[in-house]
Amino acid sequence: METGASAPDRYPLPTSDEARATLAEAARIRTSATALSATPWPTWFATTLTAYVAFFPVAYGGLFADDRWLLPKAAWAAALLSTTAAYLALFALAARSWRQRTGVALRFDVLPKRATVPLAIGMPALLMGPAWAFRATGQAGWLAFGAVAAAAVSVGFHLAFVRLHGKTTA
Amino acid sequence: MSTGPTDPMAGFDHLIHAPNRLRVCALLDTTGEAEFAVLQKQLGLSPSALSKHAGALIEAGYVEQRKAVRDTRQRVWLRLTPQGNKAYHGHLAALRAIVGQ
Repeated sequence: METGASAPDRYPLPTSDEARATLAEAARIRTSATALSATPWPTWFATTLTAYVAFFPVAYGGLFADDRWLLPKAAWAAALLSTTAAYLALFALAARSWRQRTGVALRFDVLPKRATVPLAIGMPALLMGPAWAFRATGQAGWLAFGAVAAAAVSVGFHLAFVRLHGKTTA
Repeated sequence: MSTGPTDPMAGFDHLIHAPNRLRVCALLDTTGEAEFAVLQKQLGLSPSALSKHAGALIEAGYVEQRKAVRDTRQRVWLRLTPQGNKAYHGHLAALRAIVGQ
């Protein structure tokens, strides 16, 4: 293949064993680099994230309730918007600090798909589903369930990544 | 030996095959972008050795660099270009073809 580089070294084609060893070395580098990408969020941001996902179903439920529930709808909307804005600002700060600490790009596609795919599908359902169940049944217990379940998922994933990072860097 | 466009051996890249350059590509492919110091630490290379290999990859258009200031010091971040990504994966495919996978 033409590389455009100035006179690259020419290597004889590797033997099967040499090619296997080279692939194994690339796999080893990939594993150690994945450990860097799986570095967990700092505890302060994991706590922020947990608080946000616990608050979201309650505020969303208040916003979409048929009637006024605890607070005027405008107050729920303002609370939801302000907490979301604060969360996004803190996420930007945490992401910047995470990148500086790890020295690698923040990306989620290197994390195990068995964790990220259920999270991507399940978390929106967990955040918004209880509000609709509350609207349909009038039972505020749905919102409490949503808050507790979302917080538990957040803590669970944080601990899972702490474990994954520890295992891959051990 | 066939060298048609679908032949994986056509992807064998002599520039990438150098052991340390392949390791640089493997790390950048996984992380997306990495700071020079992280590459050095992860790969166990001296600054001059890494500069040499990174320079060859940059010259080939396989890697691009970005400079950012942190703690008043300038840091260099490296990432694979789309061309570099294609070349690296083509090279891995060639190695797998040699192994017979």
